[in-house]
Amino acid sequence: MVEKSVKEKRISRFSDKTSGLLNFSDMKKIRFKFLYAAMFLIMFIISLVCLVPTVWVGLSGFKTVSEMYAVPPTLLPKSFDFGKIIEVWKKVSVARYFGNSVMLIIGCLATDIIINGLTGYVLSRLKPMGSKIMETAVFWSMLLPGISMVPLYMTFVDVPLIHVNLIGSYAPIWFMAGANAFNVLLFRNFFNSISMSYLEAARLDGCTDIGFFGRIILPLSKPIIMVVAIFSITGTWGNFMWPYLILGNTAKEPIAVMLYKLSTSKNIQDNEYMLIMMISIIPMIIVYAFFSKHIIGGLTVGGVKG
Amino acid sequence: MSDKINKRKISSIIKHNASGWALLIPSLILFVMIVWRPILIGITYSTFRLQGFTPVEFVGLKNFSDVLTDTNFIQTLKNTVAYVFWSLVIGFPLPFICAVMLNELVHMQGYFKVTTYLPVIIPSIATCLIWRLVYMDGEGGLLNMMLYYLGISPMGWLSNKNMVIPLIIVAMSWNTFGSTLIMYFASLQGINQELYEAARLDGAGFFNRIRFVLLPHMKGMLLLMLIRQIIGVFNVTEQPLTMTGGGPNNASMSLGLTNYFYAFKYGQYDKSLALGVITFLMLLVLTFIYFGLDKRIEE
Repeated sequence: MVEKSVKEKRISRFSDKTSGLLNFSDMKKIRFKFLYAAMFLIMFIISLVCLVPTVWVGLSGFKTVSEMYAVPPTLLPKSFDFGKIIEVWKKVSVARYFGNSVMLIIGCLATDIIINGLTGYVLSRLKPMGSKIMETAVFWSMLLPGISMVPLYMTFVDVPLIHVNLIGSYAPIWFMAGANAFNVLLFRNFFNSISMSYLEAARLDGCTDIGFFGRIILPLSKPIIMVVAIFSITGTWGNFMWPYLILGNTAKEPIAVMLYKLSTSKNIQDNEYMLIMMISIIPMIIVYAFFSKHIIGGLTVGGVKG
Repeated sequence: MSDKINKRKISSIIKHNASGWALLIPSLILFVMIVWRPILIGITYSTFRLQGFTPVEFVGLKNFSDVLTDTNFIQTLKNTVAYVFWSLVIGFPLPFICAVMLNELVHMQGYFKVTTYLPVIIPSIATCLIWRLVYMDGEGGLLNMMLYYLGISPMGWLSNKNMVIPLIIVAMSWNTFGSTLIMYFASLQGINQELYEAARLDGAGFFNRIRFVLLPHMKGMLLLMLIRQIIGVFNVTEQPLTMTGGGPNNASMSLGLTNYFYAFKYGQYDKSLALGVITFLMLLVLTFIYFGLDKRIEE
């Protein structure tokens, strides 16, 4: 279904336009053609605003310091010396920070998908007695703001019951990914949309709840898992505040913390810093290039509201 | 006989419930540990004097009065409201309008989808730092570079106390714009086409179709996004911290950043908790309003 709707969008003539506010018969009218042109123009400008800052930073990274502050300013650098990338890569030992970020991502992916997914499944399908309370509480926590960062930080300094100090380890960030109300609801709504008849049939064949989850729900859930995975990967890669508080000044600092610390450091020049910034963005662009087509499809089937 | 069946039924119900709750345990533990318990702890400890993280003496509302009478509190509250105001002006309508427009386009729709989503995959910390460079004073910044070609001499951007909040909001909106847009877009795709056809047959023009078909469908989602955005921006911390550090002269200081400074710069955890409770209560009102409105919309 998802594949089909993606294909359906690939139209480029007004005569094929059957969806949306304006259809093919409206598009014959001249005033709607103007409206359409205006909308196109606005979207085009907006797409430029979305692209230009990043591209500019990427280009400026290749400039020399004197080029950066030259009057009159130039857009393109005089030369593209890709050796510079290797230079800064080594200078800041980017590989270490990349590795740390990957460690964070692996754990967060696991907790985010397994724990939130299971919860969404139970709330949607199994509905044990009293799970409605849990569902309401989860929905509320999506809208509730936390009370400063202190109580949570205290929790990690001295975890209740087991009294362990988790500051300086990846675990707090992993745990936080496992209590994501938004994703629980995303999963729940997705599972709600799966036809009940599968469940009936599986029950008749003597399938257990867990077996049903593994053999029927999981294969069907690929689109929503993809969406949550992309959110989780990009979110964790850019997660700054908590990793800064928990992993800051340890050997486990991820890339986002490194970016912030470099921004206030005197040991790096502006152009090198811009290159570092681009290096840190590129992995996400690659992830996006691979998975982008899943994002829209997954959201259509699992939208939290509406 | 019937007794036996009953017993089997009961035991299967118990088994079903038990396996359901067993699967919920990890999630329950994490939600209690990370979301719900900290709220309760925060509220209780905010009435204590803390030494490190241990409460040593019950002080009633002293922490609260300390926070409220701080000379900067009113200014910070005003700034925070300004953040929310600007984010509603700049960041709220734009993704919705763009989603509606994108849904109409048949030319280059794929290109627009990809380009508008690109800022979303850029980490928010990198966004702040990129925009700090865009706003950079002197000829090196992108905005001043553009001004140069328009024949205008370079200006200070983030160092201008009247502009700093809207400028930070522009950077934030730029970062989140695409993800909100795509959610609206997905929801727009779910509108039943027959409703449009019916409206068209009734002679409804462009704006009436928006009013009678599109908006009613999107109302619930718009409300949810609105509340989430207000709550999110009210807590803004990271962006002023990384872009301005609260400056110039506290002009971009938010409640969230004050809170962060109390806790992790000055070590005044009790004051941080009190301020946290104050913001929490303000936003709780908003959450209640949301549930009230949401009920009305669903009906």
